[in-house]
Amino acid sequence: MTHLPFVIGAYAVFVLVLLADAIGSWLRLRAARRQAQSRQQRQQARQSAQQAAPALTAELER
Amino acid sequence: MNPIVRWFHQLGSPPTFDRFAARWSRVFYIAALPVLLVGLWQALLVVPPEARQLDSFRILYIHVPSAWMSLFVFALMALYAAIALIWRIKICEILAMACAPMGAGFTLITLLTGSIWGKGTWGTWWDWDPRMTSELVLLFLYLGVIGLYHAIEDRRSAARAAGLLAIVGVSLLPVIRYSVDWWGGLHQRQSISVFGDSAISSAMIAPLWWMVIGTKFWFAGSVLAKARADNLDREAGKAWVGERVEETPR
Repeated sequence: MTHLPFVIGAYAVFVLVLLADAIGSWLRLRAARRQAQSRQQRQQARQSAQQAAPALTAELER
Repeated sequence: MNPIVRWFHQLGSPPTFDRFAARWSRVFYIAALPVLLVGLWQALLVVPPEARQLDSFRILYIHVPSAWMSLFVFALMALYAAIALIWRIKICEILAMACAPMGAGFTLITLLTGSIWGKGTWGTWWDWDPRMTSELVLLFLYLGVIGLYHAIEDRRSAARAAGLLAIVGVSLLPVIRYSVDWWGGLHQRQSISVFGDSAISSAMIAPLWWMVIGTKFWFAGSVLAKARADNLDREAGKAWVGERVEETPR
């Protein structure tokens, strides 16, 4: 094959950019899911703390 | 209501879009792989060398589909941005902004592969040829849209500002398309036509269509994955996001 370094270089650019884009999308999606998950856990922890608080207040008043 | 119209309306809802994007981004990525592999195999190993450029012409099979995609993606981004501005549809804002990174990627491929091809055939990496210069301006526009979207804290205001830039930027597309006819330069005139006769041999054109379809599928997968991530970011804290994250713990 003639011009082999040029052909390899051009196809490598094509493959690398497509792969970088796919990996970038996957990482962004993973980060968004993790963020949503930690937010969900924080919300649940806050809710259970609020539920426990009235019981504690009643106990202290007694 | 017409079922198709109703489906479009439902798709505007963030939870429905999330389900749709989760399924179809994967389908498009998986569909793109065999199509691109067939295209690459034909482009590199099946098609005979061209009479004058010999094997360096094989760069055409990645350069031309990427160039077409760089224009198509920008037009699509501007269309989504216009819909978002007129009808205030949040998912269209998200889709418009999800188009920009992949569009910039295709423009970068076009410029780099064109530069490599130019060195092999014209003897120069770069020339301020009208087609090359206008394509470089397109890359700057994509980067401008991405930069503007990330520079403003409020997501909706950011998407509106960046969308407006995309709509204004559409005026560059005919300049890129007709630059060779208007000003000449190193690039040759159009030799491949989607609907009419092409100037290149039919034996050499098959891989090009495989690559054109493959890049479209890849783009569809990419844009849906990015839009899904942005949608989850914007909707974080809503009940459906929590349910969805718990449903699929990966």
